[in-house]
Amino acid sequence: MSRSAVELDFFRMEKESAGKPQQPKKLFDRRRSFRDIQSVISKMNPEILKSVIATGSVENGNLLASKPKDDDPFLSPALPLLSAPAFGNRVSGTTSLTIFYNGTISVFDVSLNKAENILKLAAENVSKTVDSDLPLTRGKSLERFLQKRKER
Amino acid sequence: MEEEREVSNTRSDGNGMPDLVFQCVIHYIHDARDRDAVSRVCRRWWEIDAAARKHVTIALCYTTTPRMLLQRFPNLESLKLKAKPRAAMFNLIPEDWGGYVTAWVEEIARSFRGLKALHFRRMIVRDSDLELLAQARGPALQSLKLDKCSGFSTDGLLHIGRSCKNLRTLFLEESSIGSIDEKDGEWLHELALNNNVLETLNFYMTDLVQVRFQDLELIARNCRSLVSVKISDCELLDLVGFFRAATALQEFGGGSVNEQPERYSSLSFPPKLCCLGLTYTGQNTRPFIFPFAWLLTRLDLLFALLDTDDHCLLIQRCPNLEVLETRNVIGNRGLKVLARCCKSLRRLRIEPAAGKQGMEDERGLVSHSGLIALAQGCLELQYLAVYVTDITNASLEYFGRYSKNLCDFRLVLLEQREGVSDLPLDDGVRALLQGCNKLRRFALCLRPGGLTDVGLGYIGKYSPNVKWMLLGSLGESDAGLLEFSKGCPSLQKLEISYCYFSEQALAISVLQLRSLRYLWVQGYRASKTPDLLAMARPFWNMELIPKRQVIVADPHGAAVSVEDAAHILAYYSLAGPRTDFPDTVVPLEAAAFLNA
Repeated sequence: MSRSAVELDFFRMEKESAGKPQQPKKLFDRRRSFRDIQSVISKMNPEILKSVIATGSVENGNLLASKPKDDDPFLSPALPLLSAPAFGNRVSGTTSLTIFYNGTISVFDVSLNKAENILKLAAENVSKTVDSDLPLTRGKSLERFLQKRKER
Repeated sequence: MEEEREVSNTRSDGNGMPDLVFQCVIHYIHDARDRDAVSRVCRRWWEIDAAARKHVTIALCYTTTPRMLLQRFPNLESLKLKAKPRAAMFNLIPEDWGGYVTAWVEEIARSFRGLKALHFRRMIVRDSDLELLAQARGPALQSLKLDKCSGFSTDGLLHIGRSCKNLRTLFLEESSIGSIDEKDGEWLHELALNNNVLETLNFYMTDLVQVRFQDLELIARNCRSLVSVKISDCELLDLVGFFRAATALQEFGGGSVNEQPERYSSLSFPPKLCCLGLTYTGQNTRPFIFPFAWLLTRLDLLFALLDTDDHCLLIQRCPNLEVLETRNVIGNRGLKVLARCCKSLRRLRIEPAAGKQGMEDERGLVSHSGLIALAQGCLELQYLAVYVTDITNASLEYFGRYSKNLCDFRLVLLEQREGVSDLPLDDGVRALLQGCNKLRRFALCLRPGGLTDVGLGYIGKYSPNVKWMLLGSLGESDAGLLEFSKGCPSLQKLEISYCYFSEQALAISVLQLRSLRYLWVQGYRASKTPDLLAMARPFWNMELIPKRQVIVADPHGAAVSVEDAAHILAYYSLAGPRTDFPDTVVPLEAAAFLNA
């Protein structure tokens, strides 16, 4: 199993730090970077990711590490843990987001907002891969019917 | 006395035509736009029209006040009021957004002596409002429609049931009367005891389940003119007596089929039944539907449990079908059967549903091949609303070529993992708009890359008569919106969803669209400066629903918190800004300062 860190430059921070002028981001560009995130997250087991995100929470500007159901986290290395240090706020207002997954470690410098967005995106993507349902574009009456149908 | 009468009869508008002539003629002018036009000819005609106007529809209740309505049309007999934005039907608007009927009901109770018919759509109605209405107008009321309303309980309905002896129509479809608001079925019992002229009874898609079927039977026996009944969930076997009594019934919707098919052999529908809505019923309904399917003109399968095969088998037995509503489980196969068998089809609505987990037939998806067959086969089509998984330019061109009667076209491209055959749809959309010159309403929701800025320009250029539009995920940049807004000369109401136009572009386009009186936007590019205020002008109300967290049910029924993006709502109003904002809605001026 490869132990090398895989770094994914979601937000093109390398490019930004290289001092290139910011081009006005068109709709497609922004979507493309989200798609990159989606493609990475979609490779993770959706059930595991969902359970981790569901138990994770944001408090006092820090991401609390979600506790896996097992007592000893080290006995289940396959479980991704989302964690951020409680200290270490950089001057820019970002902290590091570390994703452990299947033996790979990825570290990103993101603001709290971006981190929340990533979590939300992953959660959305989870439901998308499990069921090709539409988030909010279905009529109320139809939603109601589909829910009742499941209950019958 | 004779002389006086002669004088008043010959009083004319200066053209020599006596008032009496126009007073007689005006009763034959029904269309609201025609009445609007004739009332502007001269002062006298304005007065005659005002006194003679029987019906008014107010598309947004905040555009005027009850008092203004009274001064303009004192002899009104029928009023339709709407409030919440259409997005409320997709759970996107806060429940307490507004649209309270109270002030209107108070004025009606006080002044509108001739009012017989009331229709409230997407408004908040309280029990106290219903009580006041019943007290003041009870015996006079002939039609009451609480259409997708909320805020009332069966207590309010009890007042209606007791006092409205002359009610011909009671319509409660999709109103949110939840399990906490339903005390019992007494309201229907009261209605059954006191009324014998009921023609339409509708509590379809509500949670009113404590009604007693015996009361339905009593209504059917007492009301010989009962023509349309749509109910909530109720076992059809309990309605055998009802169906036997309701001999004039033409339309029925609701109910459910839970027992073994054999038990339904005693069930027979009334002889004139031609409009049917099956809910929670599957193929076990075949034995008692098939024999009279050839009579059906309207069929509602939105909440039925039929798969693609069931659809095909049923539809081919319905040669007289004019209106069909169903989910996309009908599939391309079902559409082809429809095209072959239902030559009188006028309205078709196909809603989306889940495709996985064995809930729906996976082959049952609607795409271009089904639409092409539909366009060629159903030449009488006036209204089409469809959610597709795939679409081509060619299929849209077919509509342009064949669907010459199309007035209302709504297409949504669903999100699927597989690629879509043929994007962008610029040429297809242009062909459709050029060919369907009767189009009045148009909705197109695609995805990034679905329509270019050029395509948006086509929509603007080739929709001379369209009054309402919904644009979802269209265009590439502000340039597209600006090009679009140079056209659309008749556009009165515009909804924009997730097109990510900038505030600046939105403001400019509002100023360019010369007929625009209502704008709703969600999913736009907010700016730090209040660019949107560039569209400010007299009588133009601007409101913002800032982004908020909402709890929705995910596909597994669990409650999840999602972010609902900010909404902009802007409209012309004679009544000035609203005075009843809830916490979730702010006037735009204030919001602009908060963001700065």
